[in-house]
Amino acid sequence: MTETGESVQRRAPGAREADHDAGPRADRPAGRGEGSPSRLTARDLTLAYEDRTVVDGLDLDIPHGAVTIVVGPNACGKSTLLRALGRLLRPRRGAVLLDGTDLARIPTKRIAQSVGLLPQTPVAPEAITVGDLVARGRQPHQSWWQQWSADDERAVTEAMARTDVAELADRAVDELSGGQRQRVWIAMALAQETELLLLDEPTTYLDIAHQVEVLDLVRQLNHDRGRTVVAVLHDLNQAARYADHLVAMKAGRIIAQGHPAEVVTAELVREVFGLDSVVVPDPVTGSPLVVPGRPWQSPRT
Amino acid sequence: MSAPVTPPAPAVPAAPARTARPTGYALLRAGRGSFLLHRRAAVVALVLAVLLAAVSVAYLCVGESFVAPSEVLKVLLGQPSGQELVVGTLRLPRMVVGLLAGAAFGVAGALIQTVARNPLASPDIIGVTQGAGALTVGSMTLGITSYGVLPYLSVAGGLLAAGLVYLFAWRGGLHATRFVLIGIGFAVALRSVTHLFLTKGDYLVAQQAQVWMTGSLNGRGWAEAAPLGWALLVLLPFVLWAARAQRTVSLDDDTATALGARLNRTRLGLVAVGVILASMATGAAGPVDFVALLAPQIARRMTRTAQIPLLCSALLGAFIVVLGDLLARKVLAPTELPVGVLTAAVGAPYLIWLIVRGHRDRGRAAGGKA
Repeated sequence: MTETGESVQRRAPGAREADHDAGPRADRPAGRGEGSPSRLTARDLTLAYEDRTVVDGLDLDIPHGAVTIVVGPNACGKSTLLRALGRLLRPRRGAVLLDGTDLARIPTKRIAQSVGLLPQTPVAPEAITVGDLVARGRQPHQSWWQQWSADDERAVTEAMARTDVAELADRAVDELSGGQRQRVWIAMALAQETELLLLDEPTTYLDIAHQVEVLDLVRQLNHDRGRTVVAVLHDLNQAARYADHLVAMKAGRIIAQGHPAEVVTAELVREVFGLDSVVVPDPVTGSPLVVPGRPWQSPRT
Repeated sequence: MSAPVTPPAPAVPAAPARTARPTGYALLRAGRGSFLLHRRAAVVALVLAVLLAAVSVAYLCVGESFVAPSEVLKVLLGQPSGQELVVGTLRLPRMVVGLLAGAAFGVAGALIQTVARNPLASPDIIGVTQGAGALTVGSMTLGITSYGVLPYLSVAGGLLAAGLVYLFAWRGGLHATRFVLIGIGFAVALRSVTHLFLTKGDYLVAQQAQVWMTGSLNGRGWAEAAPLGWALLVLLPFVLWAARAQRTVSLDDDTATALGARLNRTRLGLVAVGVILASMATGAAGPVDFVALLAPQIARRMTRTAQIPLLCSALLGAFIVVLGDLLARKVLAPTELPVGVLTAAVGAPYLIWLIVRGHRDRGRAAGGKA
């Protein structure tokens, strides 16, 4: 478990590839996405806030029909990358391509029909009901004179059933618990019925049972509907459990990507997080489980 | 490496038990079109329309001399009546100006509050009416007193002020809180400019301008009503568009963008419509303070909608101004108060309450990111 697999892409910091358009890449991730073309790609992506560069010259193919999870230490640029993939942040240089076309050149409403995104801390209008909020996920499919169709009705009903919030439809979002609220937001993103779904730390603020529930839901969506999901997660072990394709970032660069079993090693954890750990097989799934080194102990004992 | 244990199978979602039309909305169909109508908002609009009709008739009845409602109706229906002069020529035009200005202030406040996501943001707080006022008073002191020109100068002043506030608040995007704070700064500065014009100007003009500045319907008539009526009519399609755009704009920036809203363009459009309406109303009736601030917030509490209801804001704005002017004429009769004094007397305490309450739950109402 010390050596990375052959299919894992490793890149020295600073190295940049010139062959952006060179056919199928040898380092295409293994797993479920293999062979299928990638709909969403980043090319030479440089992202910056004001004058601080967060992501520098990054290339990424999101494997189609798979669950991709991005991990990395705080402030490594993973959320920034996700925002750019969802056109919430305009690249300083390079581009995000949807089916080969620069996102900047696609009308935002059309992007919204293919790519859904749930931000890290969405804010609901005061006093909005759950049903009303989830229904707003249908906005990109509606127009001024067609505000509600049979499709809208079906999509919203399904999204609420899937996230188990149908019972809450008449409640105000303000009154819900954190876990319920997060499920409502996810329902809204699901109602959008996009083939690609981007989730920015969807498990933050949730207790472990709700975290598992949300991640299972993501898996299920991917399995039943073939949705492509990209999620940013904090917890490396959860990422290893749920990802088909894991992307490890540090300081705005991709350090490694591939199937979790091949990517997650003690060496990688040290390199990316600066943490000494032991990686063992997860007793339930067999996926890599990162166990940090011994906790601090008093020298006297 | 031991064989992985099979995880428990994920639960299959139950069959959808209920329809998921957003709670509280009725669905209207017309041909291929389909429209969502908020039931409670529709009922509130009906009630407000009835109240507005009642206060309008009362307005026409009450004055130096009392005219019976039956006579008022006769005049309104164009039947011959001895009260033609008092009702039709003196009271009706003045009331129509108040009605239209109130409706315009109500919608303007609703639109700007929506964009700023802040109940404090209304055209009379963020410098729009002050801009309209400064340019109007400035022109008056320069000898431009024609009612054919002043309303348009007023709009120009309002747009100019709003444009400057927008420009200064812009930093790669519109930050709601910055927008409000810069607007308040501009409002204060423009008010000083107006006073400068007043002290420099001719005494008689200054006195006339002073009355205009408190917002008075005294002496207003069809000359003021006509341009405002046209503006409302022309802007109606944009207001209908705005009602729909509110559904995404009232969410946070990231979510709204993810749902396909062209946020910056939409906001600019909403603010522009709001500013034109507020400036036109200011041109016609003067800056009737706090109507644009009060009407949308009260309307929203009545309808309990997630966004500020535009039609109800318009009706309530009209109701407040007409009722206000009715009281302003009668409270200290025979002395007439400017209606703006009355709305300020009600609005100022409300503003203070808003600020006090705003401090308590600031955490929740944090503005969106740029």
